[in-house]
Amino acid sequence: MSIKGAALRVAVAAGLHPTGRFSNRSPVRVPYWLLSPSLIPLVVIVFIPMLFAFYISLTGLNQNTISDWTHAPFVGLKHYMDGLEPNGPLAPSFYGSIKASVIFSIATTLFILPIGVGAALLLNGHIRGRSFLRAVMLLPYIIPTFVNGILWRLIFMTNTGVADQLMAALRLGSRDTFWLIGPRSLWALVLADVWASWPFIYLMALAALQTIPADVYDAAKIDGATPLSIFGRITLPLIAPTLGLGIALSTINHFNNFALPFVMFGPTPPDEVNVLPLNIYVNSFITFNLGLGAAMSVVALVIMLTPAVVYLRAARIGDAD
Amino acid sequence: MATTSRRSTSNINPVGWWRYLVALAYLAFVLAPFFYMGLVALQTDSGAGSGDFLPSQPQWVNFTRIWQAVDLGLYLRNSLVVSTSTGVVASLLALGAAYVVARFRFPFRNVFRISLLATQTVPGILLLLPLFVIYIIIQHSIGLRIVGTYWGLVLTYMTFALPFAIWLLSVYVKSLPVELEEQAMVDGANRFQVIRHVTLPLAIPGIVVTFVFSFLLAWNDILFASVLTNPDTKTLGPGLQYYVSDSFSIPYWNLLMAASLVVAVPAMILFLVVQRYIVAGLAAGSLKG
Repeated sequence: MSIKGAALRVAVAAGLHPTGRFSNRSPVRVPYWLLSPSLIPLVVIVFIPMLFAFYISLTGLNQNTISDWTHAPFVGLKHYMDGLEPNGPLAPSFYGSIKASVIFSIATTLFILPIGVGAALLLNGHIRGRSFLRAVMLLPYIIPTFVNGILWRLIFMTNTGVADQLMAALRLGSRDTFWLIGPRSLWALVLADVWASWPFIYLMALAALQTIPADVYDAAKIDGATPLSIFGRITLPLIAPTLGLGIALSTINHFNNFALPFVMFGPTPPDEVNVLPLNIYVNSFITFNLGLGAAMSVVALVIMLTPAVVYLRAARIGDAD
Repeated sequence: MATTSRRSTSNINPVGWWRYLVALAYLAFVLAPFFYMGLVALQTDSGAGSGDFLPSQPQWVNFTRIWQAVDLGLYLRNSLVVSTSTGVVASLLALGAAYVVARFRFPFRNVFRISLLATQTVPGILLLLPLFVIYIIIQHSIGLRIVGTYWGLVLTYMTFALPFAIWLLSVYVKSLPVELEEQAMVDGANRFQVIRHVTLPLAIPGIVVTFVFSFLLAWNDILFASVLTNPDTKTLGPGLQYYVSDSFSIPYWNLLMAASLVVAVPAMILFLVVQRYIVAGLAAGSLKG
């Protein structure tokens, strides 16, 4: 019996119109019981805590009121005003952190994009020792963030760190160049995160490249296309959707990266790297102004919806399918 | 015709030497920090802090000292238990949800899918405090202890692991032919049997990807693990910090680097074993986002 015949019998058995597709019609009873093991935990550990965090952001919850948190004074939008109004008391610190976070996440993503795509192009082609190289490229990705932070802190130590020693040896700068304080701290952080996170883009790009059939390239070559035009007109458009997801997720992940700046710079970082998650952490768990910390997190969430929405728009998810 | 032309192109287009130059540059970029880690790991306790580049006398004994200075074996075991469980639980739970999202239309389907992506934008630090308070409330009201247990940590990692896993697997399942499932239904299988015996085996590459990403999420975490573990369930993230904590007279940078190299081995082996699946699974899972 043909597969089509089988499909028809199932469709009829399921109460569908014979021409209807088996999978995409609502009259089939949707097995919600398969959904609930995921849905219930997500409601309990994501949705409710988020609502709770939003409520906390409207209260004056701090170290004095935490023991009796249900009675923490309701302060409305005060925390949002303090931070967001240009003349608000916390505006300089808050806007400084937003700026640091935006620069950090965009700069890191811009750097890892060509590095990741380049490695993927290289290792998608023929090269000796390809499986070995493919595995080695993933190594930075499996180093725990804490270790990565310590490693780069050691590298960038003033005078004793290998970065300063190398710069002095190459006569590019003095051995007393400061990397962990002052304006260079941002680039130290970017470099550390670029090294640790570029394999993510590499993985996404490599995966996308592997779905492009070889025939497409052969046809282009027969038509006399140059390698550059092949890349621009064939490869890039075909891997763009996957890269789009990679760019969106990477921007978001860098923006939300707390562990790396915390390990590299500690709770009192230089202004240039006082990224939003660090600022939130200090407000929440060091000065224990939990209401303020929650309000800042909500703002961070809203900012991060931007790359997500841009990606969803670009990929047209939710339109047709 | 297609095969002939493919063979001919690979023959007339030998790998240029510049490719090996680029590969070498990548190798140097990736391995240089590891090399430096190795050098620090072999320093004496004082040498590691003073910034000497080459160890005067390689201290191989550091690789045995790491197990005694702090309870590295315990942290390693805890991390393996928690990360493996996170990977398995996220993949299995997600498969059910992904199957429903891929194969059925239901109310709020798109809202559900978009909110899966939206959860990835939630700062971890936003969830930490309310989750902690909710866990304490549950403990006080029904006596169920969550903070400090393995499963509490695994449950917490589901916040980010589960949505990503459902997203990736749903696109993967959608790419699988529906006819095999239909045939199984005709043969009298129920929905669970269909998923167990038809969808699951076909979705293995996708499941491996979600397993690896969930595993690494738990493996690399430091934020949740530092708050939600106790001394018995402490994982590597917070555990490794003890080498450079105030409990010793000087920070043991050398031991920290030695331990980091050692604990990278399990994750490395995992990656080596499954990397073929990762690329294949990601390819199918991410393209039709």
